[in-house]
Amino acid sequence: MKLKVYADRMSQPARAVIIFCKLNGIDYEEVRVDISKLQHLTPEYSEINPMKQLPAIVDGRFKLFESHAILIYLACSYPGIPDHWYPADVCKRSEIHSVLDWHHSNLRRGPGIIYQNIISMPVIGRRFNPEAVAEGEKFLSASLSKIESFWLKDKGQFLLGGNKPSIADLSLVCDIMQLEVLDEADRDRLLGPYKKVEQWIENTRSAANPHFDEVHKILLKVKEKRQNLRLKGANNEGGGSAMKKPLLSRI
Amino acid sequence: MKLKVYADRMSQPARAVLIFCKVNGINYEEVRLDIAKRLHLTPEYAEINPMKQLPAIVDGRFKLFESHAILIYLACSFPGVADHWYPADVFERSKIHSVLDWHHSNLRPGPVTIVRNTVLAPVLGRPFNPEAAAEGEKFLSASLSKIETVWLKDNGRFLLGRNQPSIADLSLVCDIMQLELLEDSDRDRLLGPYKKVEQWIENTRNATRPHFDEVHKILMRAKAKARRQNQQLKGENHGGGGSDMKPLLSRI
Repeated sequence: MKLKVYADRMSQPARAVIIFCKLNGIDYEEVRVDISKLQHLTPEYSEINPMKQLPAIVDGRFKLFESHAILIYLACSYPGIPDHWYPADVCKRSEIHSVLDWHHSNLRRGPGIIYQNIISMPVIGRRFNPEAVAEGEKFLSASLSKIESFWLKDKGQFLLGGNKPSIADLSLVCDIMQLEVLDEADRDRLLGPYKKVEQWIENTRSAANPHFDEVHKILLKVKEKRQNLRLKGANNEGGGSAMKKPLLSRI
Repeated sequence: MKLKVYADRMSQPARAVLIFCKVNGINYEEVRLDIAKRLHLTPEYAEINPMKQLPAIVDGRFKLFESHAILIYLACSFPGVADHWYPADVFERSKIHSVLDWHHSNLRPGPVTIVRNTVLAPVLGRPFNPEAAAEGEKFLSASLSKIETVWLKDNGRFLLGRNQPSIADLSLVCDIMQLELLEDSDRDRLLGPYKKVEQWIENTRNATRPHFDEVHKILMRAKAKARRQNQQLKGENHGGGGSDMKPLLSRI
Protein backbone atom coordinates (compact mmCIF):
# COMPACT_ATOMS: atom_id res chain seq x y z
CA MET A 1 0.00 0.00 0.00
CA LYS A 2 1.45 3.31 -1.15
CA LEU A 3 2.18 6.13 1.26
CA LYS A 4 -0.60 8.73 1.19
CA VAL A 5 0.17 12.38 1.76
CA TYR A 6 -2.85 14.54 2.57
CA ALA A 7 -1.98 18.01 1.40
CA ASP A 8 -3.01 21.36 0.05
CA ARG A 9 -0.08 22.98 -1.72
CA MET A 10 -1.20 26.32 -0.31
CA SER A 11 -0.04 24.97 3.07
CA GLN A 12 3.63 25.63 3.78
CA PRO A 13 4.26 22.48 5.83
CA ALA A 14 2.42 20.34 3.27
CA ARG A 15 4.74 21.63 0.54
CA ALA A 16 7.81 20.71 2.61
CA VAL A 17 6.62 17.11 2.92
CA ILE A 18 5.75 16.81 -0.79
CA ILE A 19 9.08 18.25 -1.91
CA PHE A 20 10.92 15.90 0.45
CA CYS A 21 9.11 12.88 -0.99
CA LYS A 22 9.82 13.92 -4.57
CA LEU A 23 13.48 14.68 -3.93
CA ASN A 24 14.06 11.34 -2.27
CA GLY A 25 12.14 9.22 -4.72
CA ILE A 26 9.57 8.19 -2.12
CA ASP A 27 6.62 6.56 -3.84
CA TYR A 28 3.48 8.31 -2.62
CA GLU A 29 -0.01 9.36 -3.56
CA GLU A 30 -0.91 13.02 -3.02
CA VAL A 31 -4.45 13.32 -1.70
CA ARG A 32 -5.55 16.89 -2.24
CA VAL A 33 -7.56 18.36 0.65
CA ASP A 34 -8.70 21.85 -0.37
CA ILE A 35 -8.50 24.22 2.62
CA SER A 36 -10.42 26.95 0.79
CA LYS A 37 -13.32 24.52 0.39
CA LEU A 38 -12.98 23.57 4.08
CA GLN A 39 -12.32 19.93 3.16
CA HIS A 40 -9.92 19.64 6.09
CA LEU A 41 -12.94 20.06 8.38
CA THR A 42 -14.89 17.04 7.11
CA PRO A 43 -15.57 14.04 9.38
CA GLU A 44 -13.70 11.87 6.86
CA TYR A 45 -10.54 13.90 7.22
CA SER A 46 -10.90 13.94 11.02
CA GLU A 47 -10.42 10.18 10.88
CA ILE A 48 -6.99 10.85 9.38
CA ASN A 49 -6.12 13.86 11.55
CA PRO A 50 -8.42 14.77 14.46
CA MET A 51 -6.61 18.12 14.70
CA LYS A 52 -8.02 18.89 11.22
CA GLN A 53 -4.80 20.32 9.84
CA LEU A 54 -2.52 19.59 6.92
CA PRO A 55 -0.36 17.76 6.15
CA ALA A 56 -0.96 14.24 7.40
CA ILE A 57 0.27 10.90 6.14
CA VAL A 58 -1.04 7.39 6.13
CA ASP A 59 1.59 4.69 5.69
CA GLY A 60 -0.15 1.34 5.74
CA ARG A 61 -2.03 1.42 9.03
CA PHE A 62 0.18 4.14 10.48
CA LYS A 63 -1.23 7.66 10.58
CA LEU A 64 0.83 10.70 11.45
CA PHE A 65 0.41 14.47 11.47
CA GLU A 66 2.63 17.51 12.25
CA SER A 67 5.05 18.12 9.37
CA HIS A 68 8.27 17.96 11.39
CA ALA A 69 7.27 14.58 12.82
CA ILE A 70 6.38 13.44 9.28
CA LEU A 71 9.68 14.61 7.77
CA ILE A 72 11.63 12.81 10.50
CA TYR A 73 9.54 9.64 10.08
CA LEU A 74 10.11 9.61 6.32
CA ALA A 75 13.85 10.27 6.70
CA CYS A 76 14.13 7.34 9.13
CA SER A 77 11.81 4.88 7.41
CA TYR A 78 12.54 5.08 3.72
CA PRO A 79 15.68 3.63 2.17
CA GLY A 80 18.34 5.62 0.37
CA ILE A 81 17.72 8.98 2.00
CA PRO A 82 21.03 10.86 2.29
CA ASP A 83 22.15 11.48 5.84
CA HIS A 84 22.29 15.28 5.44
CA TRP A 85 18.50 15.54 5.56
CA TYR A 86 18.38 14.21 9.14
CA PRO A 87 21.87 13.25 10.29
CA ALA A 88 22.50 10.22 12.45
CA ASP A 89 25.07 12.21 14.45
CA VAL A 90 23.30 13.04 17.72
CA CYS A 91 24.73 16.56 18.04
CA LYS A 92 23.89 17.57 14.46
CA ARG A 93 20.46 16.01 14.79
CA SER A 94 19.82 17.86 18.07
CA GLU A 95 20.69 21.18 16.46
CA ILE A 96 18.20 20.46 13.70
CA HIS A 97 15.59 19.70 16.38
CA SER A 98 16.33 23.03 18.03
CA VAL A 99 15.79 24.93 14.72
CA LEU A 100 12.55 23.06 14.07
CA ASP A 101 11.31 23.78 17.61
CA TRP A 102 12.31 27.45 17.42
CA HIS A 103 10.49 27.65 14.11
CA HIS A 104 7.09 26.79 15.64
CA SER A 105 6.97 29.82 17.89
CA ASN A 106 8.96 32.12 15.67
CA LEU A 107 9.22 32.04 11.90
CA ARG A 108 6.08 30.00 11.28
CA ARG A 109 3.78 32.60 12.75
CA GLY A 110 5.00 35.58 10.71
CA PRO A 111 4.25 34.72 7.07
CA GLY A 112 1.16 32.82 8.27
CA ILE A 113 -0.42 35.89 9.90
CA ILE A 114 0.31 38.09 6.87
CA TYR A 115 -0.94 35.47 4.43
CA GLN A 116 -4.09 34.70 6.40
CA ASN A 117 -5.09 38.31 6.55
CA ILE A 118 -4.32 39.17 2.98
CA ILE A 119 -5.28 35.99 1.18
CA SER A 120 -7.35 33.46 3.00
CA MET A 121 -9.60 35.66 5.13
CA PRO A 122 -11.01 37.57 2.14
CA VAL A 123 -11.68 34.18 0.48
CA ILE A 124 -13.89 33.12 3.36
CA GLY A 125 -15.55 36.52 3.48
CA ARG A 126 -13.71 38.02 6.47
CA ARG A 127 -12.13 41.44 6.47
CA PHE A 128 -8.44 41.59 7.04
CA ASN A 129 -7.03 43.28 10.07
CA PRO A 130 -4.26 45.80 9.31
CA GLU A 131 -3.05 45.76 12.90
CA ALA A 132 -2.67 41.99 12.68
CA VAL A 133 -0.73 42.36 9.43
CA ALA A 134 1.56 44.94 11.03
CA GLU A 135 2.11 42.58 13.99
CA GLY A 136 2.82 39.76 11.55
CA GLU A 137 5.41 41.91 9.78
CA LYS A 138 7.14 42.82 13.04
CA PHE A 139 7.19 39.19 14.05
CA LEU A 140 8.53 38.13 10.68
CA SER A 141 11.32 40.71 10.76
CA ALA A 142 12.39 39.60 14.21
CA SER A 143 12.53 35.98 13.03
CA LEU A 144 14.38 36.78 9.81
CA SER A 145 16.86 38.78 11.84
CA LYS A 146 17.51 35.74 14.07
CA ILE A 147 17.99 33.51 11.05
CA GLU A 148 20.39 36.03 9.48
CA SER A 149 22.45 36.61 12.59
CA PHE A 150 22.37 33.22 14.23
CA TRP A 151 21.14 30.24 12.25
CA LEU A 152 23.14 31.42 9.22
CA LYS A 153 26.10 32.84 11.13
CA ASP A 154 28.54 30.13 10.08
CA LYS A 155 30.08 29.75 6.65
CA GLY A 156 27.77 27.34 4.98
CA GLN A 157 25.09 27.37 2.33
CA PHE A 158 22.43 26.21 4.75
CA LEU A 159 21.28 26.59 8.34
CA LEU A 160 23.68 25.65 11.12
CA GLY A 161 26.66 26.05 8.78
CA GLY A 162 25.67 23.02 6.72
CA ASN A 163 26.82 22.57 3.14
CA LYS A 164 23.89 20.36 2.34
CA PRO A 165 20.25 20.99 3.20
CA SER A 166 18.40 19.37 6.08
CA ILE A 167 14.69 19.03 6.78
CA ALA A 168 15.01 22.27 8.76
CA ASP A 169 16.06 24.21 5.63
CA LEU A 170 13.14 22.78 3.67
CA SER A 171 10.60 23.47 6.41
CA LEU A 172 11.67 27.06 7.09
CA VAL A 173 12.12 28.06 3.45
CA CYS A 174 8.68 26.72 2.55
CA ASP A 175 7.27 29.00 5.25
CA ILE A 176 9.03 32.07 3.88
CA MET A 177 7.86 31.19 0.37
CA GLN A 178 4.31 32.02 1.49
CA LEU A 179 5.36 35.64 0.95
CA GLU A 180 5.50 34.97 -2.81
CA VAL A 181 1.79 35.71 -3.01
CA LEU A 182 2.47 39.33 -2.07
CA ASP A 183 3.39 42.04 -4.55
CA GLU A 184 7.07 42.07 -5.33
CA ALA A 185 7.50 45.45 -3.72
CA ASP A 186 6.15 44.13 -0.42
CA ARG A 187 8.08 40.88 -0.60
CA ASP A 188 11.30 42.77 -1.36
CA ARG A 189 10.64 45.22 1.44
CA LEU A 190 10.19 42.36 3.92
CA LEU A 191 13.10 40.18 2.76
CA GLY A 192 15.46 42.78 1.31
CA PRO A 193 17.31 43.65 4.52
CA TYR A 194 18.38 40.02 4.94
CA LYS A 195 21.00 39.15 2.33
CA LYS A 196 22.08 35.86 3.88
CA VAL A 197 18.44 34.78 4.15
CA GLU A 198 17.84 35.59 0.47
CA GLN A 199 20.93 33.60 -0.53
CA TRP A 200 19.92 30.68 1.67
CA ILE A 201 16.43 30.59 0.13
CA GLU A 202 18.07 30.44 -3.29
CA ASN A 203 20.45 27.70 -2.15
CA THR A 204 17.59 25.60 -0.81
CA ARG A 205 15.59 26.14 -3.97
CA SER A 206 18.54 25.08 -6.15
CA ALA A 207 19.18 22.00 -4.03
CA ALA A 208 15.53 20.98 -4.23
CA ASN A 209 14.78 21.85 -7.86
CA PRO A 210 12.97 21.08 -10.10
CA HIS A 211 10.56 19.84 -7.45
CA PHE A 212 10.74 23.02 -5.36
CA ASP A 213 9.56 25.25 -8.21
CA GLU A 214 6.97 22.74 -9.38
CA VAL A 215 5.38 22.43 -5.94
CA HIS A 216 5.42 26.21 -5.45
CA LYS A 217 3.73 26.98 -8.79
CA ILE A 218 0.43 27.24 -6.95
CA LEU A 219 1.59 30.37 -5.14
CA LEU A 220 2.43 32.10 -8.41
CA LYS A 221 -1.03 31.23 -9.74
CA VAL A 222 -2.63 32.77 -6.65
CA LYS A 223 -0.48 35.86 -7.02
CA GLU A 224 -1.45 36.27 -10.69
CA LYS A 225 -5.11 35.80 -9.88
CA ARG A 226 -4.95 38.50 -7.20
CA GLN A 227 -3.18 40.90 -9.53
CA ASN A 228 -5.77 40.30 -12.27
CA LEU A 229 -8.62 40.85 -9.82
CA ARG A 230 -7.08 44.12 -8.69
CA LEU A 231 -6.61 45.30 -12.24
CA LYS A 232 -10.22 44.51 -12.97
CA GLY A 233 -11.26 46.37 -9.84
CA ALA A 234 -9.13 49.38 -10.80
CA ASN A 235 -10.67 49.39 -14.30
CA ASN A 236 -14.17 49.23 -12.86
CA GLU A 237 -13.44 52.24 -10.70
CA GLY A 238 -13.25 54.35 -13.84
CA GLY A 239 -9.94 54.02 -15.56
CA GLY A 240 -7.13 51.87 -14.29
CA SER A 241 -4.13 53.58 -12.89
CA ALA A 242 -0.79 52.53 -14.26
CA MET A 243 0.60 52.78 -10.72
CA LYS A 244 0.31 49.50 -8.91
CA LYS A 245 0.77 50.38 -5.25
CA PRO A 246 2.00 47.60 -3.01
CA LEU A 247 -0.97 45.86 -1.40
CA LEU A 248 0.22 46.27 2.17
CA SER A 249 0.88 49.97 1.62
CA ARG A 250 -2.64 50.43 0.31
CA ILE A 251 -4.11 49.49 3.66
CA MET B 1 33.12 18.14 32.50
CA LYS B 2 29.67 17.91 34.03
CA LEU B 3 26.55 18.72 32.03
CA LYS B 4 25.30 22.22 32.83
CA VAL B 5 21.59 22.98 32.78
CA TYR B 6 20.70 26.67 32.67
CA ALA B 7 17.31 26.96 34.29
CA ASP B 8 14.81 28.92 36.27
CA ARG B 9 12.36 26.56 37.98
CA MET B 10 9.60 29.07 37.26
CA SER B 11 10.03 28.05 33.59
CA GLN B 12 7.93 25.04 32.63
CA PRO B 13 10.32 23.66 29.98
CA ALA B 14 13.27 24.11 32.37
CA ARG B 15 11.47 22.02 34.98
CA ALA B 16 10.88 19.23 32.47
CA VAL B 17 14.62 19.04 31.73
CA LEU B 18 15.59 19.09 35.42
CA ILE B 19 13.10 16.38 36.35
CA PHE B 20 14.28 14.25 33.43
CA CYS B 21 17.89 14.53 34.59
CA LYS B 22 17.02 13.66 38.19
CA VAL B 23 14.75 10.73 37.30
CA ASN B 24 17.42 9.25 35.02
CA GLY B 25 20.36 9.80 37.34
CA ILE B 26 22.09 12.16 34.90
CA ASN B 27 24.91 13.98 36.63
CA TYR B 28 24.48 17.72 36.06
CA GLU B 29 25.00 21.15 37.52
CA GLU B 30 21.96 23.42 37.69
CA VAL B 31 22.91 27.01 36.82
CA ARG B 32 20.11 29.18 38.12
CA LEU B 33 19.10 32.15 35.96
CA ASP B 34 16.42 34.23 37.60
CA ILE B 35 14.02 35.42 34.89
CA ALA B 36 12.42 37.93 37.27
CA LYS B 37 15.85 39.56 37.67
CA ARG B 38 16.35 39.45 33.85
CA LEU B 39 19.45 37.27 34.18
CA HIS B 40 18.49 35.53 30.95
CA LEU B 41 19.04 38.83 29.12
CA THR B 42 22.71 39.27 29.99
CA PRO B 43 25.42 39.20 27.31
CA GLU B 44 26.99 36.25 29.17
CA TYR B 45 23.88 34.16 28.80
CA ALA B 46 23.47 35.24 25.16
CA GLU B 47 26.74 33.33 24.57
CA ILE B 48 24.99 30.20 25.78
CA ASN B 49 21.64 30.89 24.12
CA PRO B 50 21.35 33.83 21.71
CA MET B 51 17.57 33.45 21.82
CA LYS B 52 17.82 34.43 25.52
CA GLN B 53 15.40 31.79 26.75
CA LEU B 54 15.50 28.96 29.22
CA PRO B 55 16.41 26.18 29.43
CA ALA B 56 19.73 25.62 27.68
CA ILE B 57 22.43 23.03 28.24
CA VAL B 58 26.17 22.91 27.79
CA ASP B 59 27.63 19.42 27.50
CA GLY B 60 31.37 19.75 27.08
CA ARG B 61 31.67 21.99 24.05
CA PHE B 62 28.15 21.29 22.85
CA LYS B 63 25.50 23.93 23.51
CA LEU B 64 21.81 23.32 22.95
CA PHE B 65 18.54 25.14 23.58
CA GLU B 66 14.82 24.37 23.07
CA SER B 67 13.61 21.92 25.72
CA HIS B 68 12.28 19.24 23.36
CA ALA B 69 15.61 19.13 21.53
CA ILE B 70 17.38 18.94 24.92
CA LEU B 71 15.17 16.12 26.22
CA ILE B 72 15.77 14.10 23.05
CA TYR B 73 19.54 14.76 23.18
CA LEU B 74 19.72 13.63 26.81
CA ALA B 75 17.62 10.52 26.14
CA CYS B 76 19.94 9.55 23.27
CA SER B 77 23.28 10.49 24.82
CA PHE B 78 23.22 9.38 28.42
CA PRO B 79 23.50 5.73 29.38
CA GLY B 80 20.78 3.90 31.23
CA VAL B 81 17.88 6.12 30.14
CA ALA B 82 14.90 3.75 29.86
CA ASP B 83 13.51 3.32 26.34
CA HIS B 84 9.98 4.46 27.27
CA TRP B 85 11.16 8.06 27.60
CA TYR B 86 12.04 8.25 23.90
CA PRO B 87 11.43 4.87 22.25
CA ALA B 88 13.74 3.51 19.60
CA ASP B 89 10.71 2.20 17.69
CA VAL B 90 10.21 4.63 14.78
CA PHE B 91 6.41 4.59 15.00
CA GLU B 92 6.23 5.27 18.72
CA ARG B 93 8.93 7.89 18.42
CA SER B 94 7.12 9.64 15.56
CA LYS B 95 3.92 9.84 17.59
CA ILE B 96 5.85 11.41 20.44
CA HIS B 97 7.31 13.94 17.98
CA SER B 98 3.80 14.80 16.82
CA VAL B 99 2.62 15.47 20.40
CA LEU B 100 5.68 17.62 21.11
CA ASP B 101 5.15 19.59 17.88
CA TRP B 102 1.42 20.04 18.55
CA HIS B 103 2.28 21.26 22.03
CA HIS B 104 4.23 24.33 20.81
CA SER B 105 1.25 26.02 19.21
CA ASN B 106 -1.45 24.47 21.35
CA LEU B 107 -1.01 23.69 25.01
CA ARG B 108 2.07 25.82 25.70
CA PRO B 109 0.63 29.31 25.12
CA GLY B 110 -2.44 28.67 27.33
CA PRO B 111 -1.13 28.53 30.91
CA VAL B 112 1.59 31.08 30.07
CA THR B 113 -0.96 33.64 28.85
CA ILE B 114 -3.18 33.17 31.89
CA VAL B 115 -0.48 33.49 34.56
CA ARG B 116 1.49 36.32 32.99
CA ASN B 117 -1.63 38.45 32.77
CA THR B 118 -2.81 37.71 36.28
CA VAL B 119 -0.81 36.32 39.17
CA LEU B 120 2.67 36.86 37.64
CA ALA B 121 1.92 40.28 36.15
CA PRO B 122 3.39 42.28 39.08
CA VAL B 123 6.58 40.15 39.06
CA LEU B 124 6.99 40.69 35.32
CA GLY B 125 6.26 44.41 35.59
CA ARG B 126 3.11 44.08 33.50
CA PRO B 127 -0.40 45.35 34.07
CA PHE B 128 -3.17 42.89 34.94
CA ASN B 129 -5.01 42.07 31.75
CA PRO B 130 -8.21 40.15 32.36
CA GLU B 131 -9.16 40.11 28.67
CA ALA B 132 -5.86 38.51 27.70
CA ALA B 133 -6.25 36.04 30.56
CA ALA B 134 -9.73 35.17 29.35
CA GLU B 135 -8.36 34.53 25.85
CA GLY B 136 -5.70 32.34 27.44
CA GLU B 137 -8.42 30.40 29.25
CA LYS B 138 -10.32 29.76 26.03
CA PHE B 139 -7.13 28.61 24.36
CA LEU B 140 -6.26 26.36 27.29
CA SER B 141 -9.70 24.76 27.33
CA ALA B 142 -9.48 23.95 23.64
CA SER B 143 -6.09 22.30 24.20
CA LEU B 144 -7.18 20.36 27.27
CA SER B 145 -10.17 19.14 25.33
CA LYS B 146 -7.87 17.84 22.58
CA ILE B 147 -5.66 16.10 25.14
CA GLU B 148 -8.72 14.52 26.76
CA THR B 149 -10.27 13.33 23.50
CA VAL B 150 -7.29 12.64 21.24
CA TRP B 151 -4.02 12.15 23.08
CA LEU B 152 -5.63 10.31 26.01
CA LYS B 153 -8.33 8.52 24.04
CA ASP B 154 -6.74 5.08 24.36
CA ASN B 155 -6.70 3.10 27.59
CA GLY B 156 -3.31 3.95 28.89
CA ARG B 157 -1.99 5.87 31.85
CA PHE B 158 -0.07 8.25 29.64
CA LEU B 159 -0.38 10.05 26.32
CA LEU B 160 -0.78 7.96 23.18
CA GLY B 161 -2.18 5.02 25.14
CA ARG B 162 1.17 4.20 26.68
CA ASN B 163 1.67 2.66 30.09
CA GLN B 164 4.98 4.33 30.78
CA PRO B 165 5.73 8.05 30.54
CA SER B 166 7.62 9.63 27.67
CA ILE B 167 9.30 13.01 27.33
CA ALA B 168 5.99 14.23 25.90
CA ASP B 169 4.14 13.49 29.15
CA LEU B 170 6.80 15.30 31.17
CA SER B 171 6.87 18.33 28.88
CA LEU B 172 3.10 18.80 28.68
CA VAL B 173 2.40 18.15 32.37
CA CYS B 174 5.06 20.67 33.42
CA ASP B 175 3.25 23.23 31.29
CA ILE B 176 -0.10 22.51 32.92
CA MET B 177 1.53 22.70 36.37
CA GLN B 178 1.99 26.45 35.80
CA LEU B 179 -1.69 26.68 36.72
CA GLU B 180 -0.67 25.81 40.30
CA LEU B 181 0.16 29.50 40.62
CA LEU B 182 -3.54 30.32 40.44
CA GLU B 183 -6.01 30.14 43.31
CA ASP B 184 -7.28 26.59 43.80
CA SER B 185 -10.78 27.54 42.75
CA ASP B 186 -9.52 28.92 39.43
CA ARG B 187 -7.27 25.94 38.81
CA ASP B 188 -10.11 23.55 39.60
CA ARG B 189 -12.49 25.45 37.36
CA LEU B 190 -10.03 25.21 34.46
CA LEU B 191 -9.01 21.56 34.92
CA GLY B 192 -12.14 20.14 36.51
CA PRO B 193 -14.01 19.31 33.28
CA TYR B 194 -11.15 17.08 32.14
CA LYS B 195 -11.07 13.94 34.28
CA LYS B 196 -8.66 12.00 32.08
CA VAL B 197 -6.28 14.97 32.05
CA GLU B 198 -6.38 15.20 35.85
CA GLN B 199 -5.65 11.49 36.19
CA TRP B 200 -2.82 11.69 33.67
CA ILE B 201 -1.22 14.59 35.55
CA GLU B 202 -1.34 12.49 38.70
CA ASN B 203 0.11 9.47 36.88
CA THR B 204 3.00 11.54 35.54
CA ARG B 205 3.64 13.02 38.96
CA ASN B 206 3.70 9.57 40.56
CA ALA B 207 5.99 8.16 37.88
CA THR B 208 8.57 10.88 38.53
CA ARG B 209 8.37 11.20 42.31
CA PRO B 210 9.95 12.54 44.41
CA HIS B 211 11.70 14.75 41.87
CA PHE B 212 8.50 16.10 40.31
CA ASP B 213 7.26 17.53 43.58
CA GLU B 214 10.68 18.78 44.61
CA VAL B 215 11.22 20.69 41.36
CA HIS B 216 7.71 22.13 41.53
CA LYS B 217 8.04 23.44 45.10
CA ILE B 218 8.96 26.84 43.67
CA LEU B 219 5.43 27.26 42.34
CA MET B 220 3.93 26.79 45.81
CA ARG B 221 6.29 29.43 47.21
CA ALA B 222 5.53 31.80 44.33
CA LYS B 223 1.78 31.27 44.86
CA ALA B 224 2.02 32.03 48.58
CA LYS B 225 4.05 35.16 47.84
CA ALA B 226 1.60 36.36 45.19
CA ARG B 227 -1.27 35.76 47.59
CA ARG B 228 0.41 37.89 50.26
CA GLN B 229 1.18 40.65 47.74
CA ASN B 230 -2.39 40.67 46.48
CA GLN B 231 -3.79 40.80 50.01
CA GLN B 232 -1.52 43.75 50.67
CA LEU B 233 -2.71 45.46 47.49
CA LYS B 234 -6.31 44.78 48.45
CA GLY B 235 -5.68 46.17 51.93
CA GLU B 236 -4.13 49.32 50.46
CA ASN B 237 -7.03 49.80 48.05
CA HIS B 238 -9.84 49.24 50.51
CA GLY B 239 -8.26 50.57 53.73
CA GLY B 240 -8.30 47.32 55.64
CA GLY B 241 -8.15 43.79 54.36
CA GLY B 242 -11.19 41.58 54.06
CA SER B 243 -10.77 37.96 55.00
CA ASP B 244 -12.61 36.70 51.90
CA MET B 245 -10.23 34.81 49.62
CA LYS B 246 -11.94 35.33 46.29
CA PRO B 247 -10.36 33.63 43.33
CA LEU B 248 -7.56 35.84 42.04
CA LEU B 249 -8.92 36.05 38.53
CA SER B 250 -12.28 37.24 39.73
CA ARG B 251 -10.64 39.87 41.90
CA ILE B 252 -9.23 41.74 38.92
